[in-house]
Amino acid sequence: MQQHPLVAILTRLGMFVLVMIALSIMIFVLARVVPGDPARMALGPAATQEQVEALRQQMGLDRPLPVQYLDYANKALHGDLGMSLVSQRPVTTDLAQTVPATVELVLVSVIFMFAVAIPLGVITAHYRNRSFDYIGRFLSLTGVTIPSFLFAITMQLVAARYLSDWPIIGRLDHGLAWQGGPTGFLLIDGTLAGRFDVVLNALKHLALPAFALSMAGIGQITRITRSSMLENQRKDHVLTLKSFGVPERIIIFRYLLKLSSIAPLTIMGLEFASLIGNAFVIEMIFAWGGFASYGLTSILQKDLNAVTAVVLVAGLFFIIANLIVDVVISIIDPRLRRKEAR
Amino acid sequence: MAEPLLNVDNLSVSFVTYGRSRQVLRNVSFSVAAGERVALIGETGSGKSVTAKAIIGTLPKNANISAGTIGFAGRDVLSMPRAEREALKGTAFSLIMQDPLSSFNPVFKIGTHLDDVMRFADKRNGISTSKAERRTRIAAVLRRVQLADGERVMNAYPSELSGGMRQRVLIGLALLHQPKLLIADEPGTALDVTTQDEILNLINQLVKEENMALLMITHNLGVVRKVADRVVVMHHGDIIETGPCAEILSNPSKDYTKALLEAVPPLYGPRVIDLPRSECAPIVTIKGLNKIYGKRPGYHAIRDVDLTLREGEIFGLAGESGSGKTSVARIIMELSRPTSGTIDIDAPAPGRGRRLTQIVYQNPGTSLNPKRTVKQTLSLPLTSIGMDADAREARMRELLDLVRLPQSYLAKYPHELSGGQKQRVAIARALAAEPKILILDEPTAALDVSVQKTVIELLMQLRQDLGLTYLMISHDLSLMRNFCSRIAVMLRGEIVEEGVTPEVFADPKHPYTRALIAAIPVVTDVEERLKPIVTEEERMRFLVKTTA
Repeated sequence: MQQHPLVAILTRLGMFVLVMIALSIMIFVLARVVPGDPARMALGPAATQEQVEALRQQMGLDRPLPVQYLDYANKALHGDLGMSLVSQRPVTTDLAQTVPATVELVLVSVIFMFAVAIPLGVITAHYRNRSFDYIGRFLSLTGVTIPSFLFAITMQLVAARYLSDWPIIGRLDHGLAWQGGPTGFLLIDGTLAGRFDVVLNALKHLALPAFALSMAGIGQITRITRSSMLENQRKDHVLTLKSFGVPERIIIFRYLLKLSSIAPLTIMGLEFASLIGNAFVIEMIFAWGGFASYGLTSILQKDLNAVTAVVLVAGLFFIIANLIVDVVISIIDPRLRRKEAR
Repeated sequence: MAEPLLNVDNLSVSFVTYGRSRQVLRNVSFSVAAGERVALIGETGSGKSVTAKAIIGTLPKNANISAGTIGFAGRDVLSMPRAEREALKGTAFSLIMQDPLSSFNPVFKIGTHLDDVMRFADKRNGISTSKAERRTRIAAVLRRVQLADGERVMNAYPSELSGGMRQRVLIGLALLHQPKLLIADEPGTALDVTTQDEILNLINQLVKEENMALLMITHNLGVVRKVADRVVVMHHGDIIETGPCAEILSNPSKDYTKALLEAVPPLYGPRVIDLPRSECAPIVTIKGLNKIYGKRPGYHAIRDVDLTLREGEIFGLAGESGSGKTSVARIIMELSRPTSGTIDIDAPAPGRGRRLTQIVYQNPGTSLNPKRTVKQTLSLPLTSIGMDADAREARMRELLDLVRLPQSYLAKYPHELSGGQKQRVAIARALAAEPKILILDEPTAALDVSVQKTVIELLMQLRQDLGLTYLMISHDLSLMRNFCSRIAVMLRGEIVEEGVTPEVFADPKHPYTRALIAAIPVVTDVEERLKPIVTEEERMRFLVKTTA
């Protein structure tokens, strides 16, 4: 019996909901069993024991964990992720301010990653075992092995020394009169408002962190693309097209590239987790003010609600990224589509 | 005599691997006249495919044409400028590849392949065409290969068509620009016999109608008789002999050709071997076997199969791909569970780690782990029955003697062995823990005929010496005719015919059995005349549809 594609997608979505529930339970419990009293940390060492107890009660920390969780889950479903102890504002407000910055950085990094890595993989495969291939392979290995913060700091130093007016921290110059826009994405809001000076300035700020963040992925994807191209090059269908005189550029850029993009896309989905992890570090270095740096501060401050929310959002990113990868791959590969429909 | 269409003269080709040069073609000379059908035959490594690649111009980069010329319509293609040579591809000569599945890129529609080939060939000829125009032309070509519903075929992905249909599209691809010469590299070999038969008929018909010349590359002498006027026999990069087809097949002058012909198992005639029936007690009894894969409603792979294997016999289970024969074998091996039905094996229970049944797979190239030496491969089953190092060593030497391989082969890796040697190792591995029943899943399908002959002889000897019972699974009925004492034919999960081999072949009852036997390419005209007759109506009813 053939299963409707919609059913397949809905099943997949249902699984993701389960994953999110499991993730939320895990982080909820973890955040509460690690040592350190959030109420004490919020109030500071000067507060009396009574004050701390009062806050604990107010926060509901004295109730059993399952009750706390159910209460949290119920509120979360209604869009209330609780108050941040540190910023004293609703966590959702904090997230709305910080998430777009991170998403913008990560998306630009991913685009940059593919724009550089796929052509590099194709070229190194084509010039296999020639000098270009060796240089490309060396560079991609460098990208994989060197930690991204090292790239980040090195680039900051180099930019500060040799490109004196190139921005090395923040998302935007302070001098620009910019009130923010509806989406929070500077590139989109700037374009919508017709403020191309803002867009250009934001791009300049994005360049270094995006580059540092994408280095590891570039190395990885270049290598996967290269080996995938080489493997597919030996297939009979390439020989068939060659024997009918179809030009090599068509064979490479049309036939081989599409077939060979499946492996790097799959890897990309998996790599997304480490991409978000690296974003935490990169955001700190570039004073990005995204949700990763927000997360880091809240972890150090034991800001319970904020930590839980940050982990959930990171999990959501990972799931959405993989959902997109799955859809794209099933568009590329008809065999997968039919297997799924079965 | 007029200038031949294709004239290969003194061609020598060598391959350079890791700095070492290896000669693969030595002074090869032959010609194909316009409208003539020539078969290039030879076994693995004889250089027949390299010859085809040299003509078309798709030799790998490490190949080096050290001498000779390839003349096409009076002009040497090897000394042509690159662009001019490219222009010949698909228009002057074109190639039909062997494996119709791997010859298409799986993530592109069939129509994309056809359109690109046509578009660039048109471009080289200086014609510019619109996409719609090309689509009409392609549909017309597809009709020529009996794919009437061109739209559906063009919009399908390769995995959505049957093997026969894909092979037809491959032929269509070759016909797009009315080439003068068609080069066919073992077409249909990867398909079922009945489909292969249809494909050969189609090629024959097209060559005649379009007045093309055909260069057929094959290892199957039966195919040669069907499609060739003249035969060129190759062996280790040399041409052994050349002559008219009938003459070579009936009266070869060279020993190699004679040996090649003798290795082909006969279907009818005095050379056929009748195996005695076993009168022993049944060793395997299968009753009411059903297997359904998947759920609601699932795929019914085996339907109510009853089978009895007698001790010491060779039982043949024949059928085409998807008929359920391998599923039966897997169930006997206890590798999968039946949905319903019983299997009784009447033999004393074997000891720890031992099994009553073992299997020899079709392709020894993939059934042996390439990273393990023969010794490592053989020691695994021996360790599992609890042998210590010394006993294992002794048993391994014994096993190699059994399969007639020298002791020194213990240290070799699979890639150092030939196909036949690898299959011998696979047989030794199957025999290691002394099973009573050996399942042979197309054990010689991946081997050359001459090698097949020696492996079959070895299996016969082993059965006698060790008192084994064989269950042979195959679609090669001419081989089964000479190797099995009883035979059953499976079609879509059911056994449609069962009996003593000579009787089944003398008077096949079921139309499907008749169709299977009729489709086997045979070497002599006498055998061809003895084949059963199948009506078109029966064909339609029982064979897989390969047209659209």
